[in-house]
Amino acid sequence: MSKRLLRVLSAFLLLTSLASSAAAQQVFRYPEDTRPSSLLPFFAEDMSAVRMCELIFDSLVVQNKRGDFEGGLAKSWTVDADQGGIKFVLREGVKWHDGEAFTAEDVVFTIQAAQDPKTLFNSKSKFNFIREVSAQGQYGVYVAFDRPVPEAEKRFLFKILPKHGFPDTAISRKDKFAREPLGTGPYKVKKGGYSLRSIALEVNGDYWSTPKVSEVLMQHTPDKSAQINLLQYSGGKAGVQAVIFLPPKNIPLFENSDSVVLEPYHTVSWWYMAYNHENKALADKAVRQAMALAIDRQELLEAHLGRGDILSGPFTESSPFYNFQVEPTGLELERANQLLDGAGWARKGDTRAKGKVKLDFEFVMDKELASNQALFLGIQAQLKKVGITVRPNYVDHAKYRDQVFTRRKFDLTLNIWSFEEVEDVYPLFHSKGVMNFIGYNNADVDTMLDTAKATKDYKKYKEQMKQLHAVLAQDLPYFFLWSLDIYSGISKKMKGVYIQPYYYFSSFPEWELSP
Amino acid sequence: MSGAASFLALAGRRIAASLLLLVGASFLIYFTIRSAPGDAVDAITPMGTPPEIKEKLAAEFGLDQGVLGGYGVWLSRSATGDFGESLVFAPGQTVMEVAGPAFEKTLLLSGGALFATVVLSILLALLLGEPSARQQGLTGALYFITSAPGFVSAVVFSAAVNAGVQRFVEQAGHETPAWYPIPIYSDSIVPYFFAGFVLVMGDGLLMDTFNAVRAEILGVRGAQFISAVRARGASVTPHLWLNLAIPIFSAFVSRLPVVLGGVVIVEYVFTLDGAGYLLLEASKQRDFPVVVGLSVLFTLAVIVVGLLSDVARSVIDQREVARDG
Repeated sequence: MSKRLLRVLSAFLLLTSLASSAAAQQVFRYPEDTRPSSLLPFFAEDMSAVRMCELIFDSLVVQNKRGDFEGGLAKSWTVDADQGGIKFVLREGVKWHDGEAFTAEDVVFTIQAAQDPKTLFNSKSKFNFIREVSAQGQYGVYVAFDRPVPEAEKRFLFKILPKHGFPDTAISRKDKFAREPLGTGPYKVKKGGYSLRSIALEVNGDYWSTPKVSEVLMQHTPDKSAQINLLQYSGGKAGVQAVIFLPPKNIPLFENSDSVVLEPYHTVSWWYMAYNHENKALADKAVRQAMALAIDRQELLEAHLGRGDILSGPFTESSPFYNFQVEPTGLELERANQLLDGAGWARKGDTRAKGKVKLDFEFVMDKELASNQALFLGIQAQLKKVGITVRPNYVDHAKYRDQVFTRRKFDLTLNIWSFEEVEDVYPLFHSKGVMNFIGYNNADVDTMLDTAKATKDYKKYKEQMKQLHAVLAQDLPYFFLWSLDIYSGISKKMKGVYIQPYYYFSSFPEWELSP
Repeated sequence: MSGAASFLALAGRRIAASLLLLVGASFLIYFTIRSAPGDAVDAITPMGTPPEIKEKLAAEFGLDQGVLGGYGVWLSRSATGDFGESLVFAPGQTVMEVAGPAFEKTLLLSGGALFATVVLSILLALLLGEPSARQQGLTGALYFITSAPGFVSAVVFSAAVNAGVQRFVEQAGHETPAWYPIPIYSDSIVPYFFAGFVLVMGDGLLMDTFNAVRAEILGVRGAQFISAVRARGASVTPHLWLNLAIPIFSAFVSRLPVVLGGVVIVEYVFTLDGAGYLLLEASKQRDFPVVVGLSVLFTLAVIVVGLLSDVARSVIDQREVARDG
């Protein structure tokens, strides 16, 4: 570069640096694909909101790095011998971000608010097992259940709200609390820190441990390439220190990076191809099985999404319910053809048919799903080999939800299920399940799910789930695909990083940002 | 009819036509967004949400009314300046609370970029004068550079600046600037300068405006009345600029919708929190009060600037008539 050019650029950098001195502070910055829907935990309906609430609020119980449950706002707890209730002893001296003391009344309020019929939120049913809640002194809470609940403490990961933050227990999603939250968590919203596109947090000086990072800035950056750009140049003062989810195609970019480390983390989520069982052809088990044998999952996964585990049933391999006795099927074109021939689906040109019914399906794809077009084209080419035609219909996210989940106007679709702490597949596969959008109806499966639901013994429940896995692997309500190895890109300036499954930031107070 | 009366009549007709246009545009936008598959309730409720919760939310959001009835309610409320409340994007906040500040930023960005484009075009036109064979290389290169779509310009600009700054910092041992890398995470004004630069240089705006302005300048310079002024020995400059003011202002006005359209993409790439970003997000979430409110504000901006152009033209015409008469 010529000296003159260097001088001109130096002057430009100096001038523009002066114009943006505010950006030069040491803060942990990270981008989000979606803007948090609400900072009121009941209405935190997307993962960006869940992550933000993790920094602002506390729960009674938390899950540690080993996966064990330990006290959060609760110092200790005792479960009744008959599993009919639980008593929490709360941590003393905890303060809300406005300086008010945290007491048992706040826990009682949170549960009562969640159960108030006027508080309308999606995960309301999570509180159904609670019959009654009462304060026992300033720091004791007793929760009575409407039935025995095994491992009850797992159900108390919900965030606690301040009683003095609301006029009554009927909480609306429009409440300004959603923008001006008041928690007991390690971080609080900075004054003027909530804006259209970003949320700035500062450390809560009264927190019972000492968070090491002083400020956090989340910015909504829907463009993934912009996120990657910001991480690539994370040495810059305005760079980001983490990208929550790195698309597989970008992973090689950081594999030998001097400034970024790939941090794997576990999510309880798996991909599936759903069959609409209301379609006559897809109601035929032989068709579903043949499709499963004609699709090479390993090839699709490696070509378009990177690394992961091929699954045989509705749980991830790390789940206690995964049945390793059931092997995932592989590519078997000959057997697929035999199955279709045997079931009377004869080849007529490119597409098989039985009478007037053809194996010709509309494949509805959500445009927001990663690699949706490449995956569809792969599946289309593979199914063509056995005489099955699939036609794509790519739709935007809102239309997808309406068309597939609400109106059920599809034959095939591809999607992902993600679970929190409890992997409950009852809503997916029971004929009366609220998330059974495929019209699946199998009396044996219904009985297995009902029996498991009524089981009090966890060991028995685990066995029942493994049996269910085996049955579903055969019957194929969905074609179970894979669970992905998920990576975050984290700046090497960050130390002590541990990413909590699902909640992500649970151990963030221990993260450190070196200069 | 006196000059003033005819001017008022013209202004009245233009305002009435503008109001009709505004109502028609708002109805089209309202109808389109309400008729699109999926609504605000779908956008915020995961599958498995009990139907009674969905129904209550739909009633709370005003989605239980038909499109025509809903539009009637919206129109009567917005006539008093109340565009309603955001449903999904910022629940509990009024549309104006959310959209107002964002719209101001977008208007400043678009107006600033357009103003810079016009000034640059005038300077270029004065500098280059009449088209000639010698200029073909320069104008051809300018055409080539500035004809890239705004999105491409923005992405290439960001990548080039980031790579360039990194190289420069490594070579010169300079500290990285606070705005690096792009898009930056701060409330600094620097990204707005960058976005403005991309708006000027993208979508062929600069060369299109330059061509229009140069044609006007050459046209006025060669007009008979200018020759007459010159023959009288008077200064031609006041006449020149008085006659160029309206065409140049018209060039500004006619390109405003183009820039307002381009700003959506540029705000997306530079992660700016303007109305373009808000419009895109609110549309995805089917937050129809925000989408309709913002669209009305965009339409209103174009109409108001068009009206100002008409008023200015009328005032100048009156002065011309009075002077010549």
